[in-house]
Amino acid sequence: FAQSKAITGSVHDDKGNALPGATVQVKDTKVATVTDVNGKFSLQVPNEGKILVFTFIGMQTLEQTIGQKSTFNVVLQTASRNLGDLVVIGYGQQRRQDVNGSVSTIKSSDIANIAQVSVDQMIQGKAAGVTVTQNSGQPGSLTSVRIRGVTSLTMNNEPLYVIDGVQVSGDGRNTSTGGRSVVSGPSTISGGGQTALSPLAALNPNDILSIDILKDASATAIFGSRGSNGVIIITTKKGRTGIGKLTYDGYYGVQQPSKYLDVMNLRQYATLQNEMAKVYGVEPRQEFSDISLLGNGTNWQKEIFRNAPMTSHSLAFSGGKDGVNYYVSAGYLDQQGIVIGSYFKRYSVRANIDGQVNSWLKVGTNVTASRTNENITVNDLKEGIVSLALQQAPDLAVYNMDGSWAGPLAGKDDGEGSENPVAKALSILNGVTRNKIMGNIYADINFSKAFTFHSEVSGDFNFGSNTVFKPTYKWGRYENKNATLYEGRSNSMFWSIRNYLTYNATFNQQHNITAMLGQEAMESSWEGISAMRQGFFTNNIYAIDAGDVAGASNGGYRGSGAQASYYGRLLYAFKDKYGLTATIRADGSSKYDQLAKKQWGYFPSFAASWKLFNEPFMKNVNQYVNNIRLKAGWGIVGNQDVPGFLYGSSLAVNPTGLGAGVSTVRIPNPNLQWESAMQTNLGIDFSLFKDKLNATVEFYNKTSKDFLYQLSLPVVITGGPDYNGGLSNPYVNLGKMNNKGYDITLNYRAIAKGNFTWNTTLTFSQYKNNVKELSATTTDITKTLNSGFLTFPLTRTVQGMPMGMFYGFKTVGIFNDQSKFATLPKQFGVDFGQGPGQNWLGDVQYEDVNGDGKIDEKDRTFIGSPHPKFTYGFMNSFSYKNFDLSVFVQGSYGNKILNLTRVSAGGLQRLYTNQFADVANFYTPENPNTNIPRPRRGDDNPNLFLSDRFLEDGSYLRIQTVNLGYNFSSDLLRKVRISRLKVYGSVQNLYTFTKYTGYDPEVGAYNGDALQLGIDNGRYPSPRTFTFGLNAEF
Amino acid sequence: CSKDFLNKPPEDQIVTENFYQTEEQVAASTNILYGLPWFGFNTKAFWAITELSGGNGRSWSGDVVNFGDLTVTGDNQLLYSAWESLYSVIAQSNMLLLNLPKYVNPAVSKATVNNALGEAHFMRAMAYFYLVRLYGAVPLIENNLDHINDPFLPRHRVEDVYKFIIRDLEFAEANCVKKMRGATYTANGHVSSGSASAVLAKVYLYLKDYAKAREKAELVINSKEFKLYGTDEVPGTNYDGLFRTKNNNNEESIIALQWTVDLVKYGPQNGTQASFALNSTITGTGDGWAVIGPTIDLQKAFEPGDIRRKSTIMLRGDVYPEINQAAGGYTVPDDANAQGTHAAIKKYVVGTPADNGGIGAYQKTANNTYLMRMAEVYLIHAEAILAGATSTSDAGALASFNKVRRRAGLGDKPSITLDDILHERRIELAIEGDYWFDLGRIDRAKAIGIINNQERGTYSNDSPPVIYSTKITITEDKFLFPIPTSETTKNPKFLEPPVPYKF
Repeated sequence: FAQSKAITGSVHDDKGNALPGATVQVKDTKVATVTDVNGKFSLQVPNEGKILVFTFIGMQTLEQTIGQKSTFNVVLQTASRNLGDLVVIGYGQQRRQDVNGSVSTIKSSDIANIAQVSVDQMIQGKAAGVTVTQNSGQPGSLTSVRIRGVTSLTMNNEPLYVIDGVQVSGDGRNTSTGGRSVVSGPSTISGGGQTALSPLAALNPNDILSIDILKDASATAIFGSRGSNGVIIITTKKGRTGIGKLTYDGYYGVQQPSKYLDVMNLRQYATLQNEMAKVYGVEPRQEFSDISLLGNGTNWQKEIFRNAPMTSHSLAFSGGKDGVNYYVSAGYLDQQGIVIGSYFKRYSVRANIDGQVNSWLKVGTNVTASRTNENITVNDLKEGIVSLALQQAPDLAVYNMDGSWAGPLAGKDDGEGSENPVAKALSILNGVTRNKIMGNIYADINFSKAFTFHSEVSGDFNFGSNTVFKPTYKWGRYENKNATLYEGRSNSMFWSIRNYLTYNATFNQQHNITAMLGQEAMESSWEGISAMRQGFFTNNIYAIDAGDVAGASNGGYRGSGAQASYYGRLLYAFKDKYGLTATIRADGSSKYDQLAKKQWGYFPSFAASWKLFNEPFMKNVNQYVNNIRLKAGWGIVGNQDVPGFLYGSSLAVNPTGLGAGVSTVRIPNPNLQWESAMQTNLGIDFSLFKDKLNATVEFYNKTSKDFLYQLSLPVVITGGPDYNGGLSNPYVNLGKMNNKGYDITLNYRAIAKGNFTWNTTLTFSQYKNNVKELSATTTDITKTLNSGFLTFPLTRTVQGMPMGMFYGFKTVGIFNDQSKFATLPKQFGVDFGQGPGQNWLGDVQYEDVNGDGKIDEKDRTFIGSPHPKFTYGFMNSFSYKNFDLSVFVQGSYGNKILNLTRVSAGGLQRLYTNQFADVANFYTPENPNTNIPRPRRGDDNPNLFLSDRFLEDGSYLRIQTVNLGYNFSSDLLRKVRISRLKVYGSVQNLYTFTKYTGYDPEVGAYNGDALQLGIDNGRYPSPRTFTFGLNAEF
Repeated sequence: CSKDFLNKPPEDQIVTENFYQTEEQVAASTNILYGLPWFGFNTKAFWAITELSGGNGRSWSGDVVNFGDLTVTGDNQLLYSAWESLYSVIAQSNMLLLNLPKYVNPAVSKATVNNALGEAHFMRAMAYFYLVRLYGAVPLIENNLDHINDPFLPRHRVEDVYKFIIRDLEFAEANCVKKMRGATYTANGHVSSGSASAVLAKVYLYLKDYAKAREKAELVINSKEFKLYGTDEVPGTNYDGLFRTKNNNNEESIIALQWTVDLVKYGPQNGTQASFALNSTITGTGDGWAVIGPTIDLQKAFEPGDIRRKSTIMLRGDVYPEINQAAGGYTVPDDANAQGTHAAIKKYVVGTPADNGGIGAYQKTANNTYLMRMAEVYLIHAEAILAGATSTSDAGALASFNKVRRRAGLGDKPSITLDDILHERRIELAIEGDYWFDLGRIDRAKAIGIINNQERGTYSNDSPPVIYSTKITITEDKFLFPIPTSETTKNPKFLEPPVPYKF
């Protein structure tokens, strides 16, 4: 050992706990070891070794000069803010303190032990500038992630996810790849509703090492045409050199509805029905003649909601030897939904392996395979399970005496009443299975010290199936004698190949240059087939072959798209003070017309930073405020999540009674081209109180323009969408929209004394959206709701205002003074009076907004904004001895919610329909002082016109997570050969402070549509979840 | 290489410029005009708008109740569906008229091309004919692509819409093939030159141009192209058979929407049975919601012995052997009570899939919807001869009129008045979406009198039942419906007075 010397030591965390499994490596060599269960190590260091590097996941990397020392007892700081951390920036990495763009990083420890299915839900409130809303509580459903406001008008607004190099669109609607969801069964048998699924649901969150969120254009421009909504780079765990590790993470939880709404009981319902009979001019129901004889009736909400269990197990093995590192894992998750009949299950495996082949070549692969199974219930529409439970009459029973499902009876109820929601939820199968294989294989070649070459092939293969079976049934007078089966199979294939060369050199020890030049090609293809039969002999055997061949149908589709790209990046740093970044990307896409030369788009960016704290003149300032760094960036990025061939004209084949027919599908636009977003970012990082308080404040100004926008021409020109036989509206490039805002992240290590620590992080996001211009012919964008049996404008977007503003009438109150009728404006051309359709006492009085002396269509106006004034997340972590406690609070302020369940279940317009209890206080001549209008028949009676009556304050503050954990001491564990063991109990969605009267103020965007933000049409509510779990490492 | 790599034409649709290359392709290019685009109109809008407003049907179902007392507003989904659907027929017709001449292979025969163009003109005229009767002045569009950059087009005057319709129908009359409707029903599906003449007769009747109406009606009658089903012109048939799926495109059919059942696709089918049928025993597919019931007024309007009654509405105790054949037929139960009427709708109710050769599903049947059939031409003929007079005993008028009555099992009338004709039209065409338009075209005061007198109420459950009477008071302005709100919001010019159309 003449050439080396022995070094021993220990590694602890800042709380004094030993860190087993920490890597100790001699810098620039392969000499390394890991600490044992007591955090101790010993290592033979060659004489040329100068520096020891101590690394541990979730901790700041520490470097120590060896010198003459032979014992190193080091303490690693938690990596809550690690200036030396590497940040993944796309096609490369950079030290955090050198990143000139806006990038937030979330570590695996930040998302550990959260009982959520998919990773997008877990980053809620964890990063400033990132607004996460769960669009539905349905297990496995789509979560909306908005990075710095809404960038695109009507196209996808979800970020691009890059999972180990595989680009995955966050668009749950699959707009760019054919626009089909795996959930493809016809609504005539499945019931329809919200069908977007989370593209991330297949990923096991336990496999994730870090999440880097690229927010501004200078950071995302390297992803060019896919970068405008921000980019989320997900890196999975890798093995590390040293002894093998086996980790287990598991939990069991129970979810329950966090709220029940107060609907009428049977007595209140009967009173209402008697009143409605008068309104409808029909015979009052005899069984309701003496209300005192009635009980409470069926509580339908209690029938459709349940306490639902949730289980997760995740096992991972990792390690490394002789230059080969491995991480293999398996995961299982079973989440039952709180609405009966819904569930989500995931099985996943992963293998991440890399190996140093020789001194200049390193190869590796990251592969995951997963399978998810889920059953989807009908929700987010008037006939959905949740809506039906609110509206179903309490005089109906769930079951008949013989145990079969009940329903409204034939005879006097003919033509009224609705289906039994319990029967509907439990009888109709809408099963979705998604199999996914995703991964990459790569090689890194070091030509010389300066040149490295990275070559990578990645693929994402998805095989989905949807089985919808509607069995035979008899629910009262609803009888189905003809069981129907739908089987849909959809496959999508994505592959890409990318090569890039990186050059890194330092000149004069002052100028550091990193230059990168690369190429990428991607192709997606998708196809699907479906088959349907009916006439099954039993409800137990449902396979296509078991049905009747007479009337059997089938369908199918296919398509593909491609993109070719070239990109480059130059990083320049001077004296570790000034940094510059310049990138350029050129993307060519098959979505645009080759003949019209619209295929290529170019996306440049620049950014600069100034490490003020490294300047000599800051010396005095640094005592008070240190680590000051200023950064500025500018860039242009694109969005291309649109369907293909919008530039041309095509004919769809549709069946008719005369045989196959062809219909023109759309109005083409050969001039279609890239949508782009230009963003400027200004930021400052600084620390106060001796690094106890770390702050990042960033301002941005993002202008997106030339939106890929599907015109919403009057229907007289299009005849409606192509699936209804019309010509789909043409896509054009129009408009300009601006988002200005700021993101603040404050981290405060409040207390670190002895056994007690308190660490708190506040993220604060604010944006202001403003539509700068539309076009000469599209002066407004009106989103219409086709809900139940009404079609009315819902949101309107015009120049000079935020997008997607709620649009309707303003109400003055209720008519309650007959003597005033003579002076009040006539409403909708109808005289005041007591005839059918006339306005009378107890009806809603609308405001004459335009002051023309009459209330009509022209009085519709903007009545509220779905955009929050700000959103925030507030994380508090405490630790005391072996205990740790975290409390996470998040919320939104200043947004409005359009509560459409107040129309259907609070409108007082239908017979045989239950209503919210508070509308029992409706107007009668005896009860004139109320704000609830009188019952009036029909869904399109003027009392139900969309008005501010249905808008509610959507602000909320939610105690999202409370997690209490206990870490067993290592002394105890050593005896049972466990290196780390933690048990914890947690509550998700513990309590929500809000004035909102619906189930849940976190409404999100309907099917991810930015123009249908904040609309509650019977959303599947998010559950409250109690979990107990443990993490163990062997 | 990169160039080919980025070339991705659709793989499941036909690029328009590659179509219209063979006789078969051109002949089939009009098929769509009989199906999908009409779906939104046919499923619910046509009967809700016409039958509930006209007083043949009643409903307290919240989605359609406002048609029954004419309190419907521009927010109504069905007014939108009808508007959208009719304009989709126009859009598809216009695109065909634009693309066929542009891309057709010169080898395709002129006759085939002209016939297709004739059909497109014909269907466009049909759509405008419904639009002008529902909404009055509406925008006229000949080439949809002309309006992409300036979509704020005005409404056009009612007289111009009619002029446009006549022009289109005359084109169809001149260019569509002449046919003779025979027993090979599959050959009868597409319209012919004679179909255009028949609709022209109806349009002229609306314009009170009785001479031309008579001329066109007689042209159709004398051509013997169409026959009266259920008379000795078509031996072995009866009125009831007109509404069976297997008799789609029978000898009486002049124009019919051509539905089919595709379990996967929503849109190529007839969806009316789901709403009409009293219950799901009749449909066998879980639907059958009885959203509409025949008004007491309609029930009482049938003359005793009129065989059309049982084919049009179901009364308690009626037996329908063709429905639910697997169970030996269907007997209307003693508590049948669609919408409080103690009755239910029968017309367009065809039964279970098994009753229809295995074809049918939830909200899906394949029976045609008549837009016009020969019986109406006879009634138009009689009315054209009456020509606004108090009554007529003209032999030709009586021959046509009584031909329809005789088929219904009723006796001849020696002379006829307008009331007789209106009554006959109402009964013959009940639930086929026509009576409301009749009320809209006759003398306004007379129409108001008829409507205000209709019993639109319900029967109680007492025995004998008591009538819970509902009568409405219609005003002059209710004969046309408002243009959908979502449309006037997009184009406020639709709220302005109509302008002349530049032909």
